[in-house]
Amino acid sequence: MKHRVFLGIVLCVVGICLALTVAHLLYAICAYQHCSIIQFIAKELW
Amino acid sequence: MRLSFRAVKQILLLLLIVVLFAAFNGSVYMLLTGRLSNNFSGTDQSKMVDVKKFLPFESESELARIDSSLKLTEDLPVLDGAAALVPVYAAIVDNVYPKGSVVYEGGVFSDDNYYGENFAADSKMQYKNTVRGYRAIVDGETDILFCAAPSSEQKAYADEKGVKLNYVPIGREAFVFFVNQNNPVEDLTVEQIRGIYAGEYTNWSQLGGANRVINPVTRLSGSGSQSAMDAFMGERKIAPKSPLAVVGASIGFSFRYYMEGMVGDEGVKMLSLNGVYPSAKNIRNGSYPIIAEFYAIYREDNENPNIPVLVDWLLSEEGQQIVEESGYVRIN
Repeated sequence: MKHRVFLGIVLCVVGICLALTVAHLLYAICAYQHCSIIQFIAKELW
Repeated sequence: MRLSFRAVKQILLLLLIVVLFAAFNGSVYMLLTGRLSNNFSGTDQSKMVDVKKFLPFESESELARIDSSLKLTEDLPVLDGAAALVPVYAAIVDNVYPKGSVVYEGGVFSDDNYYGENFAADSKMQYKNTVRGYRAIVDGETDILFCAAPSSEQKAYADEKGVKLNYVPIGREAFVFFVNQNNPVEDLTVEQIRGIYAGEYTNWSQLGGANRVINPVTRLSGSGSQSAMDAFMGERKIAPKSPLAVVGASIGFSFRYYMEGMVGDEGVKMLSLNGVYPSAKNIRNGSYPIIAEFYAIYREDNENPNIPVLVDWLLSEEGQQIVEESGYVRIN
C-alpha cells in the first residue's frame, strides 16, 4: 500500500473511532445527569 | 497472495488503533456507562417509582388502609407530590375519596414527563414529582402538594407569582447517606460528610476507608433530596469535583423510606451518622442527627373548603396512622 493511501486509511479509522468515542462520552454525560444514583452506586466495581 | 512485511505492519497498526479505542471505550463502559440506568432514553427507561404499585382503590396496591371517619364526596382537592411521598397521598385518596376519583392512564414517557406516569387531567391524584409539583401548586393546577421543604428557586418562583404557600408539617423522615455495600466505611460524622461535599476529603483513605477517590454524588437541582442536602450543608458550599471522581467510590443521599421501602436498596448500604443508624426507632427517638420534615403544602388563597378539613385530618390520629403505616414517622 502506498504511504499516502495508508495515511488516508489511518485518518479515516481514527476519525471513525474518535467520533464513536465522542458520541459514547456525550451519551455518558447526559445519562449520568438523569440516572438513578442508587443503581449507579449499587453497580460500582469493588 | 503473499503480503509484504510492510503491508503486515500497516494492518497491525490499523488493528492497534482500533483495539486502543475499543479498550478505552470498554473501560468507560465498565466504569461508567454500564452503571447508568436513565429515565429519558427511549430504549432504557426506568421509573423513579412504580406508581402502579400505589394506585388507590386497587386491592393489590401497597397502601395503608384504615377505617377512616372522614369521607369526602365533593370539592375533592387535587393531590400531587414527590416520588417518595406517593404512598402517603395515594393512601389518603384511597381512605378518604370516593371510588372513581382517580384515573390512571398508564406509564408513557415524553420529553416533559421524565417520570412516565400519567393521570387524566380531571384525576384527583396526580404525580408530577417535586420540581414540576412546586410549579403546579403555585400555578393553581394542584390543591395540596406533598413534598419536602422547597429550594430557594421554588420559594422565589412563588414570590415572583405573588403566591403565598402554607406549609403544614405532617411527618418526619431521616435524610440518609449511602455507599456501595462493599465499601468498608460504615459510619461517618456529620462534619465528615459536610467535608466530603465541601471538597476537603477527596479520598476514602482520609476517612479510614480504602484508597479510592471519593465521588460525592448530587441530585437534580430543585429535587426534594437536593434541597434537603443544600439545607444540610448550611453556609458551606458544595465544591465542584474532579471529572475523574465519577469513576471513584461514590457516596449519595436520599430519604430513608424512598430507598429502603420504595425503590429498593440492593447493592448499597446506609451509613450511620455520629454512630447512629437511621432506623425507624432512631428517627422516632430523635437520636439520628438529620431528620427532615415533609409537608402538606397549599396556596393560602385556595378557597376549596376541604383543604383545611383534609389537613386537620392528616394531623389527627387517623391521618398520622396513615403516615406511619406508609413507612414514615409521625409528626405528633
